[in-house]
Amino acid sequence: MLKVGILGAGTMGSMHANCYAQLPDVEVVAIADKRTDLARKVAEPLGARVYEEADELIEKADVDIVDVCLPTPMHKEFVVKAARAGKHVFCEKPLALTIEDGEEMINECEKAGVKFMVGHVLRYFHEYVAIKKQIDAGAIGKPAVVRASRCASQPLGWQDWYRKREMSGGVCLDLIIHDFDFLRWCFGDVERVYAKGTTFTDIPVEYALVTLRFKNGVIAHVEGSWAHSGFFTTFEAAGTDGLLYFDSRTASPIRIFVRRKGEEKAAVEVPESPVNESPYLREIRHFVECVAQDKEPEITGRDALEAIRIAIAALDSMKTGKPVTL
Amino acid sequence: MVKVGMISFAHMHAYSYASCLKELPNAEIVAIYNEDTSIADDLVKRFGGKFFDDYHKLLEEDLDAVIVCSANADHKEHVVAAAEAGKHVLCEKPIATTIEDAEAMIEACRKAGVKFGIAFPCRYIPAVRRAKEAIERGEIGRIVGIKGTNHGTMPGGWFVVKEKSGGGAVMDHTVHVVDLWRWFMKSEVVEVYAEADTLIHDIEVDDVGMLTLLFDNGVFATLDTSWSRPKAFPTWGDVTMEIVGEEGVISLDAFAQDFDLYNNKVMKAQWIYWGDNMDMGLISDFIDSVEKDRPFMITGEDGLRALEVVLAAYKSAETHQPVRLR
Ligand SMILES: NC(=O)c1ccc[n+]([C@@H]2O[C@H](COP(=O)([O-])OP(=O)(O)OC[C@H]3O[C@@H](n4cnc5c(N)ncnc54)[C@H](O)[C@@H]3O)[C@@H](O)[C@H]2O)c1
Repeated sequence: MLKVGILGAGTMGSMHANCYAQLPDVEVVAIADKRTDLARKVAEPLGARVYEEADELIEKADVDIVDVCLPTPMHKEFVVKAARAGKHVFCEKPLALTIEDGEEMINECEKAGVKFMVGHVLRYFHEYVAIKKQIDAGAIGKPAVVRASRCASQPLGWQDWYRKREMSGGVCLDLIIHDFDFLRWCFGDVERVYAKGTTFTDIPVEYALVTLRFKNGVIAHVEGSWAHSGFFTTFEAAGTDGLLYFDSRTASPIRIFVRRKGEEKAAVEVPESPVNESPYLREIRHFVECVAQDKEPEITGRDALEAIRIAIAALDSMKTGKPVTL
Repeated sequence: MVKVGMISFAHMHAYSYASCLKELPNAEIVAIYNEDTSIADDLVKRFGGKFFDDYHKLLEEDLDAVIVCSANADHKEHVVAAAEAGKHVLCEKPIATTIEDAEAMIEACRKAGVKFGIAFPCRYIPAVRRAKEAIERGEIGRIVGIKGTNHGTMPGGWFVVKEKSGGGAVMDHTVHVVDLWRWFMKSEVVEVYAEADTLIHDIEVDDVGMLTLLFDNGVFATLDTSWSRPKAFPTWGDVTMEIVGEEGVISLDAFAQDFDLYNNKVMKAQWIYWGDNMDMGLISDFIDSVEKDRPFMITGEDGLRALEVVLAAYKSAETHQPVRLR
């Protein structure tokens, strides 16, 4: 039985806890969150112990795996501490806010001989896996021009850390990092990045438009938005023999509309796309398997590093107004 | 009755404009010129008027206006000759393939005192007008950024002969949307960055274009001009934009008024458009402006400003640097 300690009981921490609970041969025994009420709520049904500080959990809890679901600026400190304590580490994306931090995290995990994986969960999303499979099979011929969008409302987190761009990195580092990783997975390394966005302005909404030129010639466009309402993604890839297009808004096999008695305003219709196994469950199962069977995770530290390299290049391009060559 | 001459059917839009003229009660096609005389009988049968194999001869006729739909590089010769013959002119987009040509056309029309309009029919799409109205009323607050597309199918013919077209997808598909954005925001493009290449078809001109624009009001925008719709695609292409403002988002898909058709003889899905005919809006407005001798909304300068963006995009794609316009 592998024992897990989760750092952070916010949106992702509670989601991860729920995933471990569905897997055999692994149990969450400890959860740390400054907001102990939150931690308790997640911990209780699992019989896990609650810590107030992430540090405390790493020092005191007897765990094999530390799962870091803290706000991004804390990733480095706690990944390094966990690795030094000899724990295998799963860390939510993005790896870190700087290349230096990211490299240090990877090196420390290597030095400690622990498994390390970053949650680039798109690689476990059914639709993205299916898209990659078609592209790899030549369904669109040689890929040429690709468009990815990820639009959401402003996310809310502990002490509103998402809105502080020096903490979250804005949409480039926090949101479309998913698309950067997925595109790199499909098309290889990026040569040039050009971006415009609001991240370094006083405009109150986060919005970025990024153009990537891949080494293999593919031109890709990525839109990241916290200026929308709700959440949706789109993906399009065109090549020499065809085009594929995905839109999460039209891929919902079920919509539920509830009219509440006595309410004047029409209730919203909530679209859903249920799958038997959530992508997060598939991601975490893979990591647990890697630890149990001493295998290398299919998402490497370098993958996570290259993803933030693209995001940071986009931010640099935004700042300087120039393209950035990687 | 406004008497109209058609100078060339090289651009397929001529067929649509001629059909509109036929329907209008206050216009009449009295003369047709086309380089390819093999379709002379067919054109006369369909649209009426007298056929000329020399456009100089056509211009000697008693005409109020001419519509020029020759290949891009021939616009200048035809428009200048029409102006010198004292005819009002409506010219297919793009205005020309070089700044010098465009300026010479504007000057010739000014000197002759004739109207010079550019065919940007997208200004006549009701949904586009609704978007403009929403922007002007401040419904989404201050605009932050815009993501646009004007996708198409590779047209072949003279469009892919650089000498005749001046360029591929970027030349063909930049100007419509740039014109709309200038019109919406009363703002000029100050900087252009572009990735462009020939990645899809075996042709001598670009078929993929990804532009990033900066407007003098601070708004950034991207525009995908690619001929990325394969032959199997259910329609010719699109004009879309996501206009992100501080207080909301306008999502525009200009040709979304359609339905799906599946036919065993065609063996591909088809999107059948049922919205208003934008070409009718354009042509009837131009004819009305000639009849009532009032200014026509879309001027040669509008054509020139849009062309500047195209040429800057080509320069940027070559140098991999943003190009300053003003
Ligand atoms: N893969 C995805 O789809 C996805 C989605 C959302 C977020 N994320 C990532 O997951 C990470 C966490 O995001 P979130 O939305 O769950 O954030 P959150 O704000 O909901 O949760 C973070 C929690 O950390 C706690 N915390 C802060 N400092 C602490 C400390 N020193 N010790 C213990 N607890 C501490 C806070 O109290 C809070 O509950 C971020 O890196 C984010 O980018 C990934």
